[in-house]
Amino acid sequence: MKDIRADFPMLKKYPKIIYFDNACTALKPQSVIDAVVGYYTEFGACGGRSSHQLARKTNNKLDESREKVAKFVNADPEGLVWTRNATESLNLVASSFDFSQKRKVVTTVMEHHSVLLPFMKLRDQGKIDLEILPCDEYGEVSMEKWSSAVDNECALIVTNSWNNTTGGENNISELSKLVHDNGGLICVDGAQGVPHHKTDLKGENIDFLCFSGHKMLGPTGIGALAMRKEDIPKLKPFIVGGGTVMKTSTEQAESATDQTRFEAGIQHYAGIIGFAAACDYLSDYGMENVEKLERTFANAIVSSIVNAGATVYGKHNRAGAVCSFNFKGGKPHDVALMLDKENIALRSGFFCAQPGLEAIGAASGAVRASAYIYNTLDEVKKFSEALEKVSILYG
Amino acid sequence: MVLCIIAFFVFAVMSIFSAKYRPLAKEGFRCVFRTIMLKPCDTGMDERIKAEVVSKVLKISPTLARFTNKHFTMIAWAFVIISLGSMVYSGFGLYNFYFYGNCDGPEAVGACIINDLTGDYGRFSEPTDLIAPTNFDGIVAGNPEANITIVEFGCFTCPYTKKAESTMSELLEKYNDSIYYVFKPFPLPNHQNSYEAAVAVLCAERQGEHGKHFELQEEIFEQQEVCTSDGSLAIKQLAQDAGLDMNAFNQCYDNNETADQLDEYIQQGKDSHIYATPTFFINGKTIVGPRPIEEFEKIISEES
Repeated sequence: MKDIRADFPMLKKYPKIIYFDNACTALKPQSVIDAVVGYYTEFGACGGRSSHQLARKTNNKLDESREKVAKFVNADPEGLVWTRNATESLNLVASSFDFSQKRKVVTTVMEHHSVLLPFMKLRDQGKIDLEILPCDEYGEVSMEKWSSAVDNECALIVTNSWNNTTGGENNISELSKLVHDNGGLICVDGAQGVPHHKTDLKGENIDFLCFSGHKMLGPTGIGALAMRKEDIPKLKPFIVGGGTVMKTSTEQAESATDQTRFEAGIQHYAGIIGFAAACDYLSDYGMENVEKLERTFANAIVSSIVNAGATVYGKHNRAGAVCSFNFKGGKPHDVALMLDKENIALRSGFFCAQPGLEAIGAASGAVRASAYIYNTLDEVKKFSEALEKVSILYG
Repeated sequence: MVLCIIAFFVFAVMSIFSAKYRPLAKEGFRCVFRTIMLKPCDTGMDERIKAEVVSKVLKISPTLARFTNKHFTMIAWAFVIISLGSMVYSGFGLYNFYFYGNCDGPEAVGACIINDLTGDYGRFSEPTDLIAPTNFDGIVAGNPEANITIVEFGCFTCPYTKKAESTMSELLEKYNDSIYYVFKPFPLPNHQNSYEAAVAVLCAERQGEHGKHFELQEEIFEQQEVCTSDGSLAIKQLAQDAGLDMNAFNQCYDNNETADQLDEYIQQGKDSHIYATPTFFINGKTIVGPRPIEEFEKIISEES
């Protein structure tokens, strides 16, 4: 694999810092930064509205970006909706899905707040019946549990493809089959999964795929909801305004039938173009290579944590290089700050997944180390040494 | 929370001198404010300071770092108490400086520094700048023919001059024939009624009755606080108690008849670059402050 570290300006600027907070957000390669800046220097106009040459140029670039991002997850560009992030995509599904026929939604305790809260809100408003499945000690929910919960009353299951706390993965293909067999749909939180492994919306039969640009080398403030284009009219408009209607009068408005019905107002064009550049970068790198590297990092990081005497949450053998841990007697924030003094940048707290952390025995939160493609095994070694050093405080 | 209290005060002071500390001072203030409002501190400042301290200690000693990490709250409280104590002590020092011209207060061992803020005797000098006076006029005692001359510049309302008084008495008793003692009143402007006390003693000295002015001098030292606060009223009462001719005394005192004499002593003190009272010149060698008698005796034996 080629050395890609030189592509990341942040790694040049802070050569001593080991960035292990990738599950929160990833660093950006120069090509993405150039693409973002390029919008403001090369295009700069509105998309889908004006017809002058700059607008046409912008339109072409945006269409091309939509195609690239859709292709990245094997979705149709006509089924890809721009959002601010995975959270907004999930809120869009929760708010727009028609629960008039069936009102049961099944999810798990191991989900991100962005999954749980929109559906808990609907439950509290009396609009749905929400079943939250418990997990085992590793944070996993067995197929048996899913099978017993998903019946023909189930309208929707919502779950992550990769977990942001344990690095565990869900078998989305099996889950989609289960719910489809029962006449329901599946909404996948791909915030962690899409950046770290090959996601195939059509192949895995995903109905709604929510993901963010910033976790996969793209800019912040841009995300997407991918779905089949024929499902678009089934969702009610979420945020309405400029660009979401075919025609309107003061009496009534006729919503657009394509994905623009969800894209109210001027979009984050620079972010969209940057997002596409990030997909290009990852595609060039090869998602199969990303997956291999993830496993290598996951094993090395888990070993480092175990050797330092800390508790690792989730199964040791995991797909994602997302490893949450705690030292006995050490407050997560204290441990993270101590590691920060050793130039290890990682996250502490609840990772917006408090119920899940409580369920796996980390009620006071945890520290999370997460690697990505620009990290190295040498960095994992330094992380291991830093952990050993800090572990002295909690011996 | 504990550390935020210290951090707030420290960074507040530092932010006066550098803008880069102002966000930290604000953060500290927010934490302290939230604590006062019984809300949890949400700045994370405590944790950051803790990590900073523990990581530094970790480089020195892992055992000490573990102890620091484990008992950090207790250590932090100790620092808070020490810091508060230090602040109170500093405030007390400033109070003393304002009222007594030094930071240690009236009872401390030291010297009454001439307060440049309120005085008009010029800036502080260094001990090495002191110049021995060549004029031996003043309130005198001992043997004028002696080989050793002790010149003291003192202020009657200076607690340190008072403290040195007993040492001088002891030396005069012990070396009466061997030393010549000259006291030059040097009233410090930052000591209330110091000028009046000096005038009183000089007026008493004018009456010529042997010992009366010494008696008044001793009484003024003895009743220093009353003289400082009540001024002429107390001084005149002490003059009366000393058995002075009060008509003559009042005439002298009220008309400030010794003004020229006193101004001359003050000028001599300035010429000698006096920066604190009492200042002694023993055959030209200097001692500042009410030092132990052994220091005086050492010079006396060297000069004998």
